[in-house]
Order: sequence, then structure tokens, then C-alpha cells
Amino acid sequence: MADEALSFQFATPVQQREAVTLGMWAFLATEVLFFGALIAAYFNYRIWFGAEFVAAAQMTKVVLGTTNTAVLLTSSACMAMAVTSFEAGSRRRPTLWLLATAVLGLAFIAIKGFEYSLEYGEHLVPALNFDLARHGGVAEIFFMFYFCATGLHALHLLIGIALVTWLAIWIGTGRINRGGSTTRLIGLYWHFVDVVWIFLFPLIYLAGRNG
Amino acid sequence: MHAPHRSSYLNAEIGLRSWLLTTDHKRIALLYFAGITFFFAIGGLAATLIRLELITPQGDLGSPDFYNRLFTMHGVIMVWFFLIPSIPATMGNFVIPLMIGARDLAFPRLNLLSWYLYIAGGLITVAALLLGGIDTGWTFYEPYSTFYATGYIILAVFGIFVAGFSSILTGLNFIVTVHKLRAPGMTWYRLPVFVWSTYATSLILVLATPVLAMTLLMLLAERVLHVGIFSPQLGGDPLLFQHMFWFYSHPAVYIMILPSMGVISEVVPVFAGKRLFGYEFVVWCSIAIAAIGFLVWGHHMFVAGQALYASLAFSFLSYLVAVPSAIKVFNWTATLHEGWIRFDAPMLYAFGFIGLFTIGGLTGLFLAALPIDVHVTDTYFVVAHFHYIMVGGAVMGYFAGLHYWWPKITGRCYPEYWARFAAILAFFGFNLTFFPQFILGYLGMPRRYQSYPPEFQIWHVLSSAGASILAVGYALPLFYLFWSILKGARAPANPWNATGLEWSVSSPPPAENFAVTPAVVRPPYQYDQGKPCMQADHG
Amino acid sequence: MSAGTILRCWLALMVLLALTTALAFVPLGTANLFVSLGIAAAKALLVLIVFMELKASSSLVRAAAAAGFFWLMIMIALTSADYTHRTDQRVPLDTVR
Repeated sequence: MADEALSFQFATPVQQREAVTLGMWAFLATEVLFFGALIAAYFNYRIWFGAEFVAAAQMTKVVLGTTNTAVLLTSSACMAMAVTSFEAGSRRRPTLWLLATAVLGLAFIAIKGFEYSLEYGEHLVPALNFDLARHGGVAEIFFMFYFCATGLHALHLLIGIALVTWLAIWIGTGRINRGGSTTRLIGLYWHFVDVVWIFLFPLIYLAGRNG
Repeated sequence: MHAPHRSSYLNAEIGLRSWLLTTDHKRIALLYFAGITFFFAIGGLAATLIRLELITPQGDLGSPDFYNRLFTMHGVIMVWFFLIPSIPATMGNFVIPLMIGARDLAFPRLNLLSWYLYIAGGLITVAALLLGGIDTGWTFYEPYSTFYATGYIILAVFGIFVAGFSSILTGLNFIVTVHKLRAPGMTWYRLPVFVWSTYATSLILVLATPVLAMTLLMLLAERVLHVGIFSPQLGGDPLLFQHMFWFYSHPAVYIMILPSMGVISEVVPVFAGKRLFGYEFVVWCSIAIAAIGFLVWGHHMFVAGQALYASLAFSFLSYLVAVPSAIKVFNWTATLHEGWIRFDAPMLYAFGFIGLFTIGGLTGLFLAALPIDVHVTDTYFVVAHFHYIMVGGAVMGYFAGLHYWWPKITGRCYPEYWARFAAILAFFGFNLTFFPQFILGYLGMPRRYQSYPPEFQIWHVLSSAGASILAVGYALPLFYLFWSILKGARAPANPWNATGLEWSVSSPPPAENFAVTPAVVRPPYQYDQGKPCMQADHG
Repeated sequence: MSAGTILRCWLALMVLLALTTALAFVPLGTANLFVSLGIAAAKALLVLIVFMELKASSSLVRAAAAAGFFWLMIMIALTSADYTHRTDQRVPLDTVR
């Protein structure tokens, strides 16, 4: 039973649901190409610079990176639980799962912030204090990629945390009823942010780890 | 005694707020028309100054730096704020829901947001122009644009970045609309070609523009933070910027031409009184152009230091992309064969398109050949090539569509003989402007130069003379179209005897498009049965 | 998407994460990159198919999901056609600005 209002341009609720789903996936496709352009540039430099580029990756914090990946994957599982329990008709459970998702997202941001502070201390931040004489220009380019990629990802994650928190409040106070697409769509966005990280993780943290 | 006051989308609501907060795709189309015309005028002003400057071999209309800023702004404004949005945001917005039998686009509020992003981006970029401009060329090549150029690059690039989101959202909206909002009976093979072309354009908008967004962000990062991602000082590769830039910018030229091709596919059958020849070929060629268009960008970098192996691959693929375009030209021509031709203004513009696009396309093949490109790249040959396609092709298509759908959009008829005169004037002016540039380029005149050796002057004088005629050809519609809104004859629902669903509603259409959702029973362009058979029977 | 499915998917993702990090420290030469990307692709597919419900979605939605990745592959493939065949010599870097 659909409670979401039918917009005038749609003939049936099914058509509306399919249209907004397709719209969200089309938007995610644009995000694939947005982050993908950065990753393509990374790949080309990895080919062109070779060992020197990969060697720079050893200065990233693999323990923190792995932990963060685990945090984000778990948050996706929580998000999936939120969507499932919401569509099953519950109101309290999705609210709690959504809050868990948001908390894990914030944990990711906190760990990332801590990681950035460590890198600042080690003079690895381009434009701020990168030690060019010690690490070289190729490493600076690698760390430009690192900060751009993880920075943009963190920005997307913050937007996701805001959306998830807002959704938790609205579901919790009964302002969103099941039958609509909002929860599912926000879930798609959250999972996508996770997928981006899944690919960033090996490229940033796992390169050049075996002497 | 004047006609009774009919209710349409134009007067359904009145007041500035009802326009600036509208979600009606038809009103948003008009909002876009205003923006498009404004930016076309600015880009055209820059072109006028350029052609004035080039009449004499020495620089006399300002410093070389000023000239660099002129051609940069001409390129930036014309590419991003005129050509890319032109047909999709105006005619696409207005006509697509009507053509498929829908009440609006899939996401009307997103549509309005697209317009605001377009205007915001455009104003930011124009602000950069007014503050002093940029001199990098519209291509922003590094490391000049990041480390050495003065000027308001950050502001201009940010404006383009904002406008890019307008493109993405528009494309997304069209894709979902065409997939999900077609009326009952409107199968894919019953869609007018304009819908297929806009759909193919939307695929490019959605898949290519995000890459531009990232490229511009990295450019901004380099300029603001003074970190060389693409700059040789740090071992970066300037060519990587070019790869990323052209990965978007080459498909972008297909964004500019595919909608025009769609317009031509609508106009030619109507004014030849015949079914479009080879409908399935034409529609799949639109998709093919969009797809293959993503594979050819390296042909902009043949002399830039790209590996020869890659250049060979891109050269071969560039030959391939010409094939679907050629197939379309053959199909339009075959549609004309044994037709009953009417020489109304839209058809005159369509003829201009077919001829000029063919010349532009063929010269593209010359450029795709590595040995020729080495000789003529960065000369006026390239300038002539892309202006034949962009102006001789895309802009002619824009005017064809503008005149074709003008009665539907405004409910008024434009003065036909003035329109035909303007079309012919524009055709002659265009050729006089740009054909000498092929010769100039072949003789060795480089592009983006303010001063040149005196032996080139005769060709530049011819070109500038042509530009003055072309300017009149473009200015005339501004006047008679505006006149027609006030004094033109009221248009019937179907002044051209066409068969698309948009012609089954009044001119101008009611706010809700269709009182009853049409049931589509036959394919488009059924002109052969003596009288045209509309796609939906009146119910 | 039942709770059980989600739990199993999560466990699989954790196992793959442990695997990819462990394998990064095993010297496999050039295969290291492909192994880590392959595992990343597997994780991504799990998220896409299970969490994002592509398994239950229409072929249109699946095409939209695939389109972005496919086009990205085009970009990577053709740009690397340039970079893998470059013969230029890189200039010695300035290490002090």
C-alpha cells in the first residue's frame, strides 16, 4: 500500500517508483565517472611514473585504512538493515539502524581526521608542508591524489551522514511512511559512497606494500 | 474583431514569481531561450571584435593580450553557454514531453534547478569577463592556465563547473523521461527522431560532463594550491590534463550536433511530404555517434606528444565516427528524392545544414589523417572545420527548429518571406566568412594570432566581410520573431501539416499539455498517404 | 533482502577485506595490483548486487549501473594506450622550489 503522494507527471505509483529509481542510478553513474576520472588519472601516473609512484603509497597508514574500510562496509550493512526493516513496516528498528549507520559514518570521518593529522605531522600535505626535498615531486603528486580522492569522498560521506540522520528523524517521528522510495534512494547513495571507497582503498593503501 | 482569449501555458498563471518558480517544462524552455539569446549575443560581440581586428595584418584593436582574452571568451561563452544547452534546454524541454505524450518531464523541479545553475554559472563567467577576462583559450591548457596566466581563471572555471551540473541534471531528466513517461502505444520505434537524438545527447551529457567537473576541480586545485599535478616542474604531465579535458570536450561536440541532427530529421520529412528514409538506421546512428564519439578524443592531441600508437588508434576511430553521420546525410537526401518539397524557412535552414555539415564533416576526415593534421593543426583550417559544423551545422539546426516550432511555442506565425531572406543571407554570409579560412589554414595562418603576414590579408578581409553579412542574417530573426509575438498571425494547431503529437494540441499548448493522455497508434512521418496521418487518433 | 542475506554478505565482505590486506604484503610482482583490484571488484559487486538490490532490479537499472563503469573502462583503456607507449624521457625534477 503506497502512502507516498503521486506527482502529477506520473500516471501510476509504480511508474513514479521506477522513474525515481532510474534517476538515482543515472545520478550514481555520473558519480562513477566523476571519481573515475580521478582514478583514471591515478592509473596513468602509476603507469608513467612506475615504481616511484607506487613507493609513495607506502607512507599511507594501512592499519587505519583497513579499519576505516571495515567501518564503512559495516555501515553499509546497517543501512541495508534499515531499508529492509523499514519496508517490512517497522518504525523503531529502521531508526536505530539508520542512527548506527550515521555513527559509523562519523567514526570513519574521525579516523580519517586523525589520519590527516598524522600526515600533517609527517610533512606529507601538499601545498601546506610537503617536504619536497625529502620525498620528491612524484610523491607529492601521489599525495595530491590521496588528499583529493579521500577529501572528496569524505565530503560525499558527510552529505550522506546528514541525509541518513535527517531520514532517521523523519522515520522516527512518523513523517515518512512505507511505500515511498526515499529510504531506498538514500540507501543507494550510501552504498555508492561505500563502493567508491572499496576501489580507493587498494589504490591508495595497498600499493607497494611488498618490498 | 480579435480571437477570443484562449487559455494556454503562457497565461495560465501571471506574474514574475509564476515564471521564476515555474516547474512547467514549457515555461522553463522560454527561460532558457532568454539565457541562450543573451549569451549568444555576448559571444557574437566577441566574434565581431575578433573579425574587426583581423581585417588588418597588424594588431590595432587593442593589445595582443586583449586579443587573447577576446577569443578565449568567445570560445568559452559559445561552447558552454550557448551551443551545449541550446537545442536540448530550449526545444528539447518544450517539445519532448509533448512528442511522447507526457504531462511534463520526469523531474520538473530538477528542471528548474538546471536553469538556475545555468544562469548562475553563466553570470559567474561573465563576471570574470567583465573583471578582466582570461587569456588561455577555451581549452585552458596547463601549465599556462595554472602557473603562468594572469586573469580571472578561477572565477571563470568555477562558472563553467557550476553550469556543468545544469547539463548533467538536464541529461538525467531527459533519460528518465524518455524511458518512463511515454504515452501508451508510444514504443521506441514510434518515437520521432528528435527524441532519439535528444536521448543520445543526454547519454553524453550524463557520462562525459562529470569528467569535465573533475578536470576543472584538478585545474582549480593546481592554480589555488600551486601544486603541480599536470606541471612539468614537479614531473607532472601536461598531456594528462589534455586527455581528461578532451575526454569530455570531444563528446561535447556531439552534444552540440546531435540535437541539430534531430531537428533536421523532423523538418525534412514534413517539408518533403515524405516518410523519413531509413528510420531505424537514423535512430541507431544517433546512438552510434554518441558511443563512438567517446573513443576519439586523442585526435586533438596528435602533435602534443601523445604516443604514436595511441595516435594511430585515435585516428582510426575518428574515421569510424564519421560513418554514422554520413549514413544520416544519405538518409535525409533519400527522403528528399521524389518528395513534394516546400521551401519554407525551416527547410531552407535544413538544406543549409545538410550541405555545410557535410563539408565540415569531410574536413574532419582530413584532420583525422595524421600526416595532414601535422600540417594544418592549430591553423585556421581547424577553425574553419569546427565552425562549419558548429555554425553551419548546429546553429543552422537551431534556427531550423526555432522557426519550425515557433508557431507551437508562441501561437504566432513569423513573417515567412523575411525568414527565408534571413536564412539565405545567413547561408551566404556563413560561407563567405568561413570558406576563406580553409584556405588561410592550408596556407599556414596559425589560429589565435592577432597579427599576421600581409599576404594573408585578402582572405581575412573576405572572411570579415562575410561575418558582417552573417551578423545581419542572425540579427534579422531577432527583430521579426519579436515582431511576430506582437503582430503575427495566430497560428493553428498544425500549421505545417505534421504528424507528431506536439501538433495535436493547440498553439500555444495548454498548461497540462494533453486533456486526455493520447493513445499512439502509428509511427511518425506518415506523410505518404495523401494527407498526413497523426500519430494518435483524436479521441 | 533478508537479515540473513545481509549478515552473510557482510561476513563475506569482511573476509575479502582481510584477504586483500593480507595479500598486499605477499610479493606477487605485477599480480599484486590485479589481485587487489579483483578483490575490490568482488566486494563492489557484493554491495551492488545485494545491498543495492541489483539482483532484483530491472535490466534497465542494471544497464544504468553498468554504464558508468563501462565508460570508465573506456577512459582508462584508451588513456593507458598512450602512457604505456610513451618513449619520452622525463626531465630531472626540481626538488627545491
